[in-house]
Amino acid sequence: MQRRHFLTLAGLLAVGMGLAGSPLLAQGVDVDAILRDPAAPTAGNPKGDVTVVAFLDYNCPYCKKSAPDLERAVREDGRIRLVYKDWPILTEASVYGAQMALAAKYQGGYDKVHHALMAIPGRGVSEEQMLKAIQGSGIDLARLDADLQAHAKDIGTLLKRNLAQAESIGLQGTPTYLIGPFRTSTLDYAGFKEAFAEARRRQAAE
Amino acid sequence: MAGHSWKTGHFWKTGHSRANGMRAAALAFACLSPFSASATEDPDLAPLFAASAPRVPFTLEAARSPDGALVLRWMVEPGNYLYRDSLGASLDGRAVPLERPVGEAKDDPNFGVVQVFHRDVEASAGALPRTGELKVAYQGCSEKGICFPPQARLVDLSTLDTRVAPPGRISATADISARSGPAPATMEPAALSTEGAVDDGEGIAALFAGSLGWTLLAFLGFGLLLALTPCVFPMIPILAGMLTRSSETLTRRRSLALTGAYVLAMAGAYGLVGAVAGGSGANLQAALQTPLALGVTATIFVLLALSMFGLFDLALPAGLSARLAGRGGSGSLGGAALLGFGSALIVGPCVTPPLAGAMLYAATTGDVVTGAGALFMLGLGMGLPLMLVGLFGPSVLPRGGAWLERAKQAFGTVFLAVAILLAGRLLPAPASLAMFGVLLLGAAAFFGGFDRLTASSGPAARLARGGGMAAALYGATLIVGAAGGAQDPLRPLAFEAVADARRPAAQAAATVTSSTSFDRAVAAAADGAADSAVPNRPILVDFTADWCTVCKANARVMAAPELRARLAAVPQVTADVTDYNATTRALMERFRVVGPPALFLVDAQGREIPGSRIVGPVTVDAILRRLDAAGA
Repeated sequence: MQRRHFLTLAGLLAVGMGLAGSPLLAQGVDVDAILRDPAAPTAGNPKGDVTVVAFLDYNCPYCKKSAPDLERAVREDGRIRLVYKDWPILTEASVYGAQMALAAKYQGGYDKVHHALMAIPGRGVSEEQMLKAIQGSGIDLARLDADLQAHAKDIGTLLKRNLAQAESIGLQGTPTYLIGPFRTSTLDYAGFKEAFAEARRRQAAE
Repeated sequence: MAGHSWKTGHFWKTGHSRANGMRAAALAFACLSPFSASATEDPDLAPLFAASAPRVPFTLEAARSPDGALVLRWMVEPGNYLYRDSLGASLDGRAVPLERPVGEAKDDPNFGVVQVFHRDVEASAGALPRTGELKVAYQGCSEKGICFPPQARLVDLSTLDTRVAPPGRISATADISARSGPAPATMEPAALSTEGAVDDGEGIAALFAGSLGWTLLAFLGFGLLLALTPCVFPMIPILAGMLTRSSETLTRRRSLALTGAYVLAMAGAYGLVGAVAGGSGANLQAALQTPLALGVTATIFVLLALSMFGLFDLALPAGLSARLAGRGGSGSLGGAALLGFGSALIVGPCVTPPLAGAMLYAATTGDVVTGAGALFMLGLGMGLPLMLVGLFGPSVLPRGGAWLERAKQAFGTVFLAVAILLAGRLLPAPASLAMFGVLLLGAAAFFGGFDRLTASSGPAARLARGGGMAAALYGATLIVGAAGGAQDPLRPLAFEAVADARRPAAQAAATVTSSTSFDRAVAAAADGAADSAVPNRPILVDFTADWCTVCKANARVMAAPELRARLAAVPQVTADVTDYNATTRALMERFRVVGPPALFLVDAQGREIPGSRIVGPVTVDAILRRLDAAGA
């Protein structure tokens, strides 16, 4: 396990976010827009010193596997700012799930829906199954319905923006986590902890 | 697919421009990562980052085999895997069936077991026109814990060049207001609104929609309903016979314990079927309908019967029969359980509809445990009424003396009948008819049908003589019928029907056992229908097997006069899956058929018409409804 953590961490790819003179900036990729999209749901500590951006799909088995570990690591760390990027690329139903979760944000319920959807195991989850999970999440369904209609355009725009951002930095698939200057995919709890520490070390060194 | 070799120099055309986006991105990254130099030193990590050589996880190639079939080959970069169920192809918007090999089982995170390919994989798309573009889709993940978006390629059927397909259906731009379903607050629970909740797998899948407790309860109830079907009937005499064997020492407690063991083992067998289905997609019951399993089980029942007739109670006191049915002692509960297990798996293979539902559920959620639990409850529900046999058995069954001997002989006869039923799944119908005839004649002799009556004979003896003579007459009739090729034990002398069945019908049903022969049969049926008044006539596809009891009942329903005329005009393809092997399994998987019986309509291109499927027992009305809906 130890060796695997080390290897995984060694494999983190620095994407040069926040680095002065970053090649990404030179290419016209707006890093700040990715890290600080005001429309994107966030969790963790808003004033945290390390930002984690999670590109996720609700039909992605590895997202579901790593979601609890990430949350636990973020919660225990206490100084991580977590940004959720709904990036529905795997199935048609993924888009539906993302729309629902983002609509729930308007009543402060993104977390509830997000957890409900991430808790459904599998990669072939249908819209109906997602809806059942949402119904059981304790969210105000009438309100969700209204927000979905009222903010349909905003939600669509945000999803398109997420898609463009993921493409602009060349993400290959889900999950992808940007952790400070690193990029990685599935990690376990210890892996996330190590990644957070490594991100802090590098940020301090700058 | 093994029919041709890639080594013989097929000219492969590889996609020139696959995954443009990924490659461009990878190149962009190659120059900006301060970590890349150290990171690439570990080959194990290489695929994780774009900074290493731009590697596309999957590459598609197309070739034509010597027999003209289009063969697709996916090259899988080490460390990645393709989902078997994601491999698909379509031509002009119509699905093209692929003959995909069986994949490796993989325990996907959070998902349970799925079939994947870690290595290069080939699939035949069959014979296709030489023009047009075949659209091929696939999706996979990396073992590193990242899943790639679904990919689509277009294969030019004349040059076999591949190119990246235009953006697929999945896009984040899907319009919320354009969604067909109503808004979530008003949306009905999934699938519960579909009509005929019990007659297809999807309807049963809805039973899984509730909480775990509710699901289990629903299946228990469903099992109770199934208890009154031919699936369970054979188990009543088997159980009663088992109890009779130990009747001399049978207390109510003992009787209930034996019955409980039988029922629990039966439920456990169903649970096992569910677990195997959820885990590997195989239908254990179908897989067990092999000559060996049937032969062994039939032999066991013959041995049991012989011991009931007292033939080797003395010869083999501690032998197989004592072990199986026991008479007190520790072995008998185990024997009862073994008998229950075998009965469920081999004697009464009727679990297709609930199994289809459970598999559908397991396939979408990977939740093998719930699927297995649900089928266990189903078995329990089917078995609970049998507890009545255990409860009242001790009061009803004789305790000893001549009556006990008679009862034992009666149940011995029943065991022989079960053995013939099992053997009948392997033998031609007239052969089992003849065997039943012989059995009846033998039984008639045993129960006094040929005994000499005297003036002083009591009414019991006279009754036995009369009953025995009737049985002997029926038995003899069956033998005569069998000699004439009769198949139906209720109409052994209806030779007209036999001749009818032999006469080629106007629309003869083609019988197929593989995906390729299915395509041929559908093409032939479509050709035949092209001249008729309805050019795009749907084709009735019927999955059946010799061992499938419900299929036989279904065949009788379809021979009913109301349907006969109607069906005479509908081309039919019968998929015979009696042999459970790779080809029949592939055919079943192609249409997601878990086991026989399954009945549905396909169009002239062999695509299933949505909503036309019936899994399990059919009714005249259900078939007519589907024929009407499909315009057949």
